[in-house]
Amino acid sequence: MLQVPDVALAPMLPILIVLAGAIASTVLGFNLPRRALTIINLVMLMLSGVSMVTLWSGPGEVPLTAFGGSLQADNAALLLGLTILVGSVMTLLVSLDTAYRARVSFPEFDAMLMYAVTGTLIIAFSGDLITMLIGLEIMSLASYVLATLQDSRRAEESGLKYFLLGTVGSAILIYGIALVYGGAGSLNYAAIAAQTATLTPGNVGILIGGAVLLLAGFGFKVALAPFHQWTPDVYTGAPTSVSLFLSTVVKVAAFAGMLRVFSGALAAAPGWASTLQILIAATLIIGNAAALFQPNFKRMLAYSAVAHTGFLAMALLGTAEVGGAALGYYLLIYTLMTAAALAVVAALQRTEEGMTINDLRGLYYRHPAYAAALAVCLASLAGLPPFAGFFGKYLVFQAAFQNGYVWLSVLAALASVAALVYYLRPAMLMFMPDRTPAREYPHGERTPTTLTVALGVVGVTVLGILPNLWYGWVAVPGVWGALAGR
Amino acid sequence: MIHLMIFLPLLGSLLLFAVPPRWREEVAGFFAALTLGIGLLIWRGGGSELFSVPWVPALGITYSVALDGVSLTLALVTAFMSFVAVLYAARRVSNPGTMLSLVLAMETGLIGIFAARDLVLFYVFFEDALLPALLMLAIYGKPGRMRALVKFAAYTLFGSLLMLLSIIGVKYYGGSPTFALADLVQNPVTGTAQTWLYLGFLAAMAVKLPLWPMHAWLPDFHEQNHDSGVPDVMGTLYKVGGYGIFRFGLTLFPDASEALRPILMGLAAFTALYAAWIAFRQTDWKRLLAYAGLSHMGFVGLGVFSLNETATIGAMYLLAFQNVYTGALFLSVGMLQERIGSLSTRVGGVMTQAGALGGMTMALWFASIAVPGLAGFIGEFSVLLGAFQVQPWITAVATLSAIAAAAYALTAFQTTFWQGRPLGSVRVWDVRGTEWLVLGLPLAVAVFFGVYSAPALNLIQPAVRGVLATLGGQ
Repeated sequence: MLQVPDVALAPMLPILIVLAGAIASTVLGFNLPRRALTIINLVMLMLSGVSMVTLWSGPGEVPLTAFGGSLQADNAALLLGLTILVGSVMTLLVSLDTAYRARVSFPEFDAMLMYAVTGTLIIAFSGDLITMLIGLEIMSLASYVLATLQDSRRAEESGLKYFLLGTVGSAILIYGIALVYGGAGSLNYAAIAAQTATLTPGNVGILIGGAVLLLAGFGFKVALAPFHQWTPDVYTGAPTSVSLFLSTVVKVAAFAGMLRVFSGALAAAPGWASTLQILIAATLIIGNAAALFQPNFKRMLAYSAVAHTGFLAMALLGTAEVGGAALGYYLLIYTLMTAAALAVVAALQRTEEGMTINDLRGLYYRHPAYAAALAVCLASLAGLPPFAGFFGKYLVFQAAFQNGYVWLSVLAALASVAALVYYLRPAMLMFMPDRTPAREYPHGERTPTTLTVALGVVGVTVLGILPNLWYGWVAVPGVWGALAGR
Repeated sequence: MIHLMIFLPLLGSLLLFAVPPRWREEVAGFFAALTLGIGLLIWRGGGSELFSVPWVPALGITYSVALDGVSLTLALVTAFMSFVAVLYAARRVSNPGTMLSLVLAMETGLIGIFAARDLVLFYVFFEDALLPALLMLAIYGKPGRMRALVKFAAYTLFGSLLMLLSIIGVKYYGGSPTFALADLVQNPVTGTAQTWLYLGFLAAMAVKLPLWPMHAWLPDFHEQNHDSGVPDVMGTLYKVGGYGIFRFGLTLFPDASEALRPILMGLAAFTALYAAWIAFRQTDWKRLLAYAGLSHMGFVGLGVFSLNETATIGAMYLLAFQNVYTGALFLSVGMLQERIGSLSTRVGGVMTQAGALGGMTMALWFASIAVPGLAGFIGEFSVLLGAFQVQPWITAVATLSAIAAAAYALTAFQTTFWQGRPLGSVRVWDVRGTEWLVLGLPLAVAVFFGVYSAPALNLIQPAVRGVLATLGGQ
């Protein structure tokens, strides 16, 4: 008897709109200039956001699903999806100004970007491991192309590195999925979560192995030490707008996947939390220590992204409710501040190699608004109130601390001190008087980039003073308790 | 009213960027004076009651503020010294817009620290006061500022992040619904956890107090700051560690405070003596003042850690008025630098040409080394009197630093203002214009509260009694 698959369009709508943008870019690229495509894509992203807001399920409502629960538009997915869209919009806005200079101004750039966004949304909406893997692969393949698209040796090298290490990561991930399937007998998050309670000892071993391999695979994607080595090279070698995309949207998506798998499906499974704890400790130490010694500002931001992975991952150690809310808040803030900082770099750098920290000296007297904005972003990245980075850090500390990871919290606090030093140096150099000629690209200040920077700065300031505007949504009871679905 | 006092300076600070440069000095002065005026009105009205609304309900963070007793005293002193700093900066610093803006922004942070009755709010203001201080150092500092800046920020953040963990822990282990002080006191943490949390809290306060061995940022911070001394005034006000321990440390960690009392008193006494000893060797006025301030803060620590009523009252008194006379001394050093172009303590003969400057500086020094009849005496004497009843030997060690203070202060004063004027040196002009106010107002305050301490004590005493009563005091 032939069965009709459970296809529901409504929960897929946000993804389909973005996919339509990607296909439109592919097809219309022959006729339309790239700027027109970018604007179409921006509209598509907005529409996708609107469709997500309409999908929001109030208290008591059952979230919509498709494919028998393989794709679920629950509130967690929508919150993470909105964060992804914010990062994507910021990337597109910056690329409007810088893509031509970076020699990536082809329709393919937009198409690949939108395919990648489609993949990230599938991860956020995933209801089982296969859907998650499909999303992850779409995202990864598109990102490999994005990193290599620029016609330069550095971009090729970084793209190849990204591709080789990324595929290794994917292979490990798939092996992990296979083992989890072997252990739990299902690929569905909810079924795995139900199975982990009643397992025979033999299956527990397989499940632990699968969970740890999954952790390693995700470790590659989010850049947890020791799987982080590709990150600084790729972020530095790729065009800055691509680095912006990789360090915000792709990371948010990978964390969305981790949240689904570890705080949802495998929440009760043994073994992975203690392993993750060690990985986080290593990430905090290595990421922060390495960032301390970077003379190149863009590379420093790359290492800072690694260090932030450590902070973000601390949320996974909390209970699903507290940790999920913390991660949901922090990911948006992280996107806003990292994207705004990289947008300033993209606007002011002379070449795609970025700028050295010493080039920033006296920036306040040449580009006062950009300098002040960058200072706000760096203060927020360092976790200084009243900027939102403080609450993000506070929330993840709280999540880990309350779940008993006191020593990791202390280590994270100490690592933050090192972080402060490397964020502070460029931030303060910008305000020091300087008489040497300017070292920036003179025509960097353009409206879309300025808009991106303003979005980030206003976002981190407003959400820092009134965190409830976003935290009130992510902390709605029940959002993160149902990560695995019903 | 209270919110006005906290946020008016910040408003003024932001407004300064919109005002045409010609009017910036006047606007800044207006906002600083207005804040002080509102502070005095609050004082006339008998302080301001606790005001509390939820800020981030999901996290139990409230916006709770109150200004009474000790906090009102310190807030008034902050408003007063910020006004004096604005007055001086407007005349002394060229193109002072940014500096004035930073002074006002920092004032909000500082008053907020004193007003906060919620631990997270306290932390937020605590860090907010840091940003303008860093920017002042970055924009107006001397060539070695980067090192000083990183040192200052690293020490401060090291402490405050550990404090942040303690803050999370206090609420979590105590089971309090919110971070408001009143709720936290209702749900105390007990046992070993309390000691660990207190140590985390102390880490931040010891940096700000500052207490040996967490003091190393202080001399560099002052040395590398702008010559005018305006950032130093704000830096003096930034030593809020004593207040933090008094307000939050003692009330939230009573058992741990008693258990650690001898160790902490010992550290404080050592800080006082050690700093006085080092101050004696300094040839740079700002470093000298920095170490002198450190020595005073040792006294403040001694008083607070002793958990004795008299000593704690003395410590709060000292904390408030040390800001006044040490701040004014930094400004007088700034004036000296403007006249002779150096901060050396070995100039000689300035008194012969600038009698009023020398006289006022000397009077402020007398306040600083606790000559009776000036504000410093009441504070230091009460601290020693009270601390003797608790730990006589440790206090005896600290007393030595009072003698050392006289030695370093008078030596430096003598080699700068007396002795012979070197041949061929420039003519030094005396105090003029607003400079009279800048030095005169703090001096008047130091004399007034040295002779007639009742207004301040009336504010401080009940607050101290209230806090110590929860300890079962002595």
